[in-house]
Amino acid sequence: MRADCFPPFDPSRRVLLGGLLGGLPAAALLRAVPTSAQGAPRVVSLDYGLASTLLALGIVPAGVSDLAGWDKWVVSPSMPAGVVDLGTSTEPNLEILKALKPDFILATPYLDAQIPRLQEFGRVLRLQTFRYEGTPILQAVTAATRSLAGELGRLPQAELFLSGAEAFFDDCRARLAPVSAPPVALVNFMDARHVRIYGNPGLFHDVLERIGLSNAWTEQSSDWGLQTIAIEELSRITDPHARLIAFDPVPPDVLPKLARSPLWRSLPVARPGHFHVLAPALMFGMVNEAMRFAGLVTQALEREA
Amino acid sequence: MSGLTQSLRFGPAAVACASLTLAAALAWLLVAPNFAAPAAPGYDAARMVLLYSTLPRLATALIAGAALSLAGALFQLVLRNPLASPTTLGISAGANLALVITLLAFPALLGFGRDLVALAGSAAAAAIVMGLGARRGFSPLSLVLSGLVISLWCGALAAVLTFLNDRYLVSLFIWGAGSLAQQSWDIPLSLLWKVAVLALLCGAIVRPLALLELGDGSAAALGVRFAYLRFFAIAIAVSLSALVTSAVGVIGFIGLVAPIVARLSGARRVGDILIWSSLIGAALLLCADVSVQLLAGAFSDFLPTGAVTAIFGTPVLLFLLRRLKMRHRVIAAPFAGLRRKLPAGRAAVLVLVAMLAAIAIAMLCGRNPDGTWQWLGGPALAELLPLRLPRVMAALASGAMLAVAGVLLQRLTGNEMASPEVLGISAGATFGLSISLFAVAASGIWVQLGFAASGAFAVLAVILAFALRAQLAPERVLLAGIALSAMVDALVGAVASTGDPRALTLLRWMSGSTYGVSAGTAMALSLAALLLVAPALLSRRWLDLLPLGPSSAASLGVPLKSARLALSCLAGLLSAVATLGVGPLSFVGLMAPHLAREAGLTRALPQMAGAALLGGALMVLADWLGRTVLFPYQIPAGLMSALVGAPFLMLLLFRKSRTTQVL
Repeated sequence: MRADCFPPFDPSRRVLLGGLLGGLPAAALLRAVPTSAQGAPRVVSLDYGLASTLLALGIVPAGVSDLAGWDKWVVSPSMPAGVVDLGTSTEPNLEILKALKPDFILATPYLDAQIPRLQEFGRVLRLQTFRYEGTPILQAVTAATRSLAGELGRLPQAELFLSGAEAFFDDCRARLAPVSAPPVALVNFMDARHVRIYGNPGLFHDVLERIGLSNAWTEQSSDWGLQTIAIEELSRITDPHARLIAFDPVPPDVLPKLARSPLWRSLPVARPGHFHVLAPALMFGMVNEAMRFAGLVTQALEREA
Repeated sequence: MSGLTQSLRFGPAAVACASLTLAAALAWLLVAPNFAAPAAPGYDAARMVLLYSTLPRLATALIAGAALSLAGALFQLVLRNPLASPTTLGISAGANLALVITLLAFPALLGFGRDLVALAGSAAAAAIVMGLGARRGFSPLSLVLSGLVISLWCGALAAVLTFLNDRYLVSLFIWGAGSLAQQSWDIPLSLLWKVAVLALLCGAIVRPLALLELGDGSAAALGVRFAYLRFFAIAIAVSLSALVTSAVGVIGFIGLVAPIVARLSGARRVGDILIWSSLIGAALLLCADVSVQLLAGAFSDFLPTGAVTAIFGTPVLLFLLRRLKMRHRVIAAPFAGLRRKLPAGRAAVLVLVAMLAAIAIAMLCGRNPDGTWQWLGGPALAELLPLRLPRVMAALASGAMLAVAGVLLQRLTGNEMASPEVLGISAGATFGLSISLFAVAASGIWVQLGFAASGAFAVLAVILAFALRAQLAPERVLLAGIALSAMVDALVGAVASTGDPRALTLLRWMSGSTYGVSAGTAMALSLAALLLVAPALLSRRWLDLLPLGPSSAASLGVPLKSARLALSCLAGLLSAVATLGVGPLSFVGLMAPHLAREAGLTRALPQMAGAALLGGALMVLADWLGRTVLFPYQIPAGLMSALVGAPFLMLLLFRKSRTTQVL
C-alpha cells in the first residue's frame, strides 16, 4: 500500500539494507548516503511544515513522517525521492529511526508526549509552529525557521529564504492592490453539512493580513486555528462582497449535494464568482505553506478580477 | 417488561403532550429571534437559515426521534426485553460502520446506495446479535451484552479507519457522533416518506403483536406464526434504525428511553406503546437537539447531538438496570463433550508451542526501512531487540492478564460474552487520560499514565460499590460497565469532532498501542501479571463450581458473596493493569477463554492457564502484525486483535450454537 514511496532501486537504502543484513557497522555505510553530504546534518522531521522548511534551507531530510500523505496535503515543494517514510508523526517507526541514526529529530508541541522517548534516537528540536501560544502564527513560524536554521548552521540560507518569502508576500500584496480585494473566508469541507473554518489565531489568517486581505470569518478560532461549523453558520458572514475559498480535497459527494440546497445556493459567499475551490494548502504548516497559500489565493482573486 | 415494577401515575398521552410542549417551547426559543427581526429586503440571511436550516433540522429531529423510538419499542416488544433498542443491540453502530467503510473504500457508492449500505450494516449486526441471543432464549441481559459488544467492535473498527487516515479525516467522527445539522429539506423529506411507509407496515402487525403479548403458546394456539411475526417486526425496526443512521449518523439511546417512558407512564396495549413511544421519542430528540443548539450558541463550539444523547442516555440505562429483575442464568450445556477434543496434555503442549512461536516471530521478524522483510541475526539483533522486547513483553503480559480476567468473568456470570473489555474500566482510563490532556498543560507520559490509572481505579471502585448494592449479580455489573464505556466513547467522539488534534492522542490510547511502552513499563506489567494471575489460578475450585449456578455452588460449599467479591476485584485489577498496557478494545479477554476451551481445556485451572498463554500469544501476534503489515505505519495492537479476533470469535460461537441446537 505504501510501497510506492520507496523507489525499488534507490542505492541509499540498498546500502542500508545491506548494512542491516550483513551486520556491518551501519554508520560506516551511511556515510555513503547522499543526504549526509559533507557538513549537512542528518535530520528527520515529524512535521510537514518543518520538513518543507528543511528543504528550503537546502537540507534533504533523511526521513519524514506521514510521507505517504505529502502529495495530498502539502503538494509543493515536492519531496525528493529517497526520503524515508517514518510512519505517523505520533508513532514514528522507532526501528527506522534507529537505522537512520539522525543527528536531529524535529518535533512540534503537538508531539510533546513522545519527546522523552524520541530523545534516545537523536537530539530532538522542539519548534513552536501551528499551535497558538501568544505570538501570531506567521511570526511564530518565522521565528521557528530562524531557530531551526541556527541549530543546523544554516542561518544565511534562512535569511535568504525568509527575505524571499517577504518579497513574495509583498508581491502578492501589490498584485491584489488593484483588485479591490474583498474579505475571504477559508474552509475545508468535512462532509456535505459541515466545514472546518480557519480564523484568528491561525497561519492563514495572518497571511491574509500580510498580503492586504482580511478574513471574512471574524469569530475566534481554537488555539489550533480552526473551528468546526455547520454550513448554515456561514450565513453569519455579513459582508456581501466576501469570498468563500475551499481547499481540496473536497469529499466527492459534497458539491452535488450542496447544489441542491436552497440555503447554500442563496448564501452570498457561495454564489458563482464568490466561491472557489483551490488546490490543497496546509494550514498546519510554516513559511512554505504560507507562501503556497498566499500564491493560490492571490491567483484566484486576480483571475476573478 | 414485567421487570419494570412501578409506573408513573400520569397517562402516556399527558406525558407525550407535556414533552412535546416542552420541545415546542424550546424550539420557539430558538426560532423566535428570527420572527422578531424585520424582514430585510432582498437576500435575508436569517430568513434563509430559518427556512432551509433551522426548520428542516427541527423536522429531522422529530422524524428521527420518532423512528428510533418506534424501532426501540418494536425491539422491546418482540424480544420481550426492556433494554432493547437500536443502540443497545448494536444496530446503529453496524449501520455506521458499513457507511464508514463505504465512504473510504467506494465513495461513489454512497451517492445512491447510502440507505442500502446502512441497511446491510445494521442487518448484519442484527443477525449476529439475534443469532447469539437465540441460543440463550433471548435472555434480556445476554442479548444486550452481545449488542453492546458489537457496538464497541464496530466503533473500534471505525476508529482504526480514522486513525489510518490521520488528523484530517474528522468528518467520520462528526457523523459517527450524530449531527442533525441541515441545509435543505432533502434529508427530512426523504426520511419522512420512508419512515411513514415503515410505520404503516408496523400498523399492520399491531393486532398480531398484541396476541404475541399473551405468550408464545397462546399466540400459536390462535394461529399466529410467531417466528414470522418476530422476523417481520425486527426487520421493520432494523430498517428504521438504518434509515436514521444513514441520514444523520448515530443518535444514541433515544430509542431506548422513549419506549420506557411510554410504558412507565402507563401505556399497556401494543398500539398505545408504539404510538406514544414515537411521539415521546420525537419530543425527546427535539428537546435534546434544541438544547444542544442553544448551548452551542453559548459556547460557540461544535457539539454533535448524537454524542449528547448518548451522554445523557447512559445514566438512564444505569438507572433501569437497578429496576430490572434478574435471574442468574446457568450455562446451558457444559462446553465439554460436544466435539472430539485433544487430551488435555497434548492441548497444553500445543498452546505452549503456539505462544513460543508467536514470541519468536515477533522478536525476530520485521521489516527494513525500505519495506523488505528481514530475519534478525548478529549485531542487528542487538540493535533492534531493545526496541522490540518491551513491546512483546507488554503485549504478552497484558494479553495474559486480559485472558485470565475473561475466564474469571465468564465463569462468574455464566455468560460467554463477558469480558474485561466491557467492564468499563478501560473507559475510566480513557476518561482519566482525556482530563490530563485537556486540563493539564503539556502533560508528559507519566502524568498521562497517572491520570489514566486513577480513572481506571475510580471506575473499578464505583463498579464494586454498585456490585455490592446489586447483590453482586455479575451481569448487572457488566452492563453497568459497558454503559460507562458507551458514555466515554460518546465523549471522545464529541471531542474528536471539534477537530482538536489532541483527540488523536485519545484515539491512540483507545486503540491500544504498545508503542509507548518502555523497558521499565514492560517489567512492571510482567510483574503485575505474575502477581495477579497466581491468585486467580488458586481460586480454581470456586471457578469450577460457580458456573453450576448460585444454589448448586452454595450447596457445594462456595461462600457465594465473598467468592464473587474477591473474583470481581481480581478481574477488575487484572483489566485495569492490562488496559494501561494495551488499551480497552483488544477483545483478547473475550477470545482467549473460548480458544482455550476449544482446544479442550475445559476445567477452570487448565482453561485459565491455557487462556493466559493463548491470550499472550494473540496479543503478541497482533502487535507484530500491527507493526509489520502497513510498515512503516503501525496499527495499534489492541485494534489489530479486535479486528482479526472478533469476527473469528463470532464464527466460533455460531458454529457452537449449531452443535448445541442439534444436541
